[in-house]
Amino acid sequence: MTGAGVFFQLLINGILFGSMYGVAAIGLSLIFGSMEIIFIAQGSVMILAAYGTYFLFNMAQFDPFFSLILVLPGFMLLGFVLFMALFRRKDGLNKYSSLLVAFGLMILLENLMSVLWTPDTRAVITSYTGQALSFWGLDISITRLLVFGLSILATLAVSLWLRLTLMGNAVRAAIENPQAAALMGIKTPRVKAITFAIGIALAGLGGTATAASYSFDPTFGFLFSLKALIAVALGGIGSVTGALLGGIILGVLESAGAYLFTGVWAHAVSYIVFLLVLMVKPEGLFMKRTRSA
Amino acid sequence: MFNDRHMWVKIILAVLFMAVIVFPLSVEVEASYTITFLFQAFLFVAISQGWNLVAGYGGQISLGQHAFFGVGAYATGIAWMAGWVGFFDPLAFLLSTIAPAFLAIMVGIPLLSKLRGDYLSLGTLGLGEIMKVLFTQGGRITGGATGLLLPSSSYDTMMPYYYLGLGLAVSSTIIGWLLVRSRIGTAWVCIRDDEQAASACGINILKYKILALAVSGALAGLAGGLYAYNTFQIMPDDVFGLQWALMPVLMTIAGGVGTFTGPILGAFLLTGIFQLTSIHLPRIHPLFSGTFIIILALWLPHGVMSIIHRRQK
Repeated sequence: MTGAGVFFQLLINGILFGSMYGVAAIGLSLIFGSMEIIFIAQGSVMILAAYGTYFLFNMAQFDPFFSLILVLPGFMLLGFVLFMALFRRKDGLNKYSSLLVAFGLMILLENLMSVLWTPDTRAVITSYTGQALSFWGLDISITRLLVFGLSILATLAVSLWLRLTLMGNAVRAAIENPQAAALMGIKTPRVKAITFAIGIALAGLGGTATAASYSFDPTFGFLFSLKALIAVALGGIGSVTGALLGGIILGVLESAGAYLFTGVWAHAVSYIVFLLVLMVKPEGLFMKRTRSA
Repeated sequence: MFNDRHMWVKIILAVLFMAVIVFPLSVEVEASYTITFLFQAFLFVAISQGWNLVAGYGGQISLGQHAFFGVGAYATGIAWMAGWVGFFDPLAFLLSTIAPAFLAIMVGIPLLSKLRGDYLSLGTLGLGEIMKVLFTQGGRITGGATGLLLPSSSYDTMMPYYYLGLGLAVSSTIIGWLLVRSRIGTAWVCIRDDEQAASACGINILKYKILALAVSGALAGLAGGLYAYNTFQIMPDDVFGLQWALMPVLMTIAGGVGTFTGPILGAFLLTGIFQLTSIHLPRIHPLFSGTFIIILALWLPHGVMSIIHRRQK
């Protein structure tokens, strides 16, 4: 392969993989924006969805992409239930204890999945899993391309929802200024519940995408949360397109890092870039400079 | 005087303190599991007190104490392997204090100089991961993935570990208390309560935030150094394990953030509960810890100490 060929192949691999970080990051960004919670369990919820897709495929022969019909509403419901059970209380839960709840949930989910389904690595193997489109000497996996398309669709759907619907506007208002939003008659608890449910549904989407195109195990979630958090910081907290782009940049960096450096050094690349971005443009790469409070 | 619940807490702590001092005299030290358990709890008290300064008084949530703990452990380990220090060498403890404090300052400058404090949590959480990578890739100096094997023939008895651990727990509490009572502590609380007002009053916010992180890093590192002398094998996956960051956070919040008795109570309570369940209920244990954390956070969002504060009002 020529130098340019390698470059483009790495770029494409990175973009396709990074779009999954992006989907997880959008959910995190929404949850963080409206509830001020670093929802570290996002990655573990994703892996839970990945198991859901895996079992739907292996037991009921559901196509992994078709299983979204069940996974999306299911996880939205799960998000709603989790919110009602864990984060609803107006008093009492401060930033320390909500962080604890998220951590506890992550540990619980991780261990629950290990106990129930063993820590073995899983992957969904369909008839089209190994196939790839080839042109100009580049190989593009079909499943990963589909996942990329799904991420773009999800990003579009969420941004349109935020811009065009009344509820979406309420969510944006609550993210920007919760006190003022409450004074304007926006029911912030309801806004939070809906945002959280959508965030968890996005984790469900990310999980299905993971199962369809990569392999996973129960402990994969934490690393995924970490990467998604970096993607959020890169894109700017509260920005939906920024989160997707942040994820894609992270994917490209990692794919280049894995090619240029050996072994685990590649993992360090994303963190170093994260620190550099924080120093140069702390509000995120795609945010306009605004007054911060 | 005995109606004062704070007084009761102090009395209980004083009795506990006496008990842990004389305890090794009453048991077969080498065979006792309780000694090892207490040693572990002492280390957690030190790390928790450090985290408490950053979070409870400084208002900044660091999730990277495992990075400082691990760097402290490696500082002692590398220096010992190189022959610069010996067994239980004060110089080694000094190194284990300075190295993580230096690291805390280096990451604190980019992470804390910006207005959004959330970045500290994100950045420090990643710091532990990157440190694990760096030390796994360290070649001969760090021993790679299998880590450093220290001369375990130096081990004689558990006694010095026990009392050094106790000393570390007590001194970390005293250092924290002295700092919080000083001008520095006043500045921390000002920053925690209202950053803009603190800044308007002429407090150098960045300086004080970094100072809090550096002190907490130093305490975690010192605990790491003592741990290194105890395990004799320093592995990246162990000393940079997430438990060294999460457990102190959990213990401090469970005990009561922003109090000095909270981290102590939390460290003993949680080390005890987790040890007992892993021994007696091995099958439930993995599910227990997560559930327990959630229940605790929902039921006592302000920690065990809040029961005492609440009743008093």
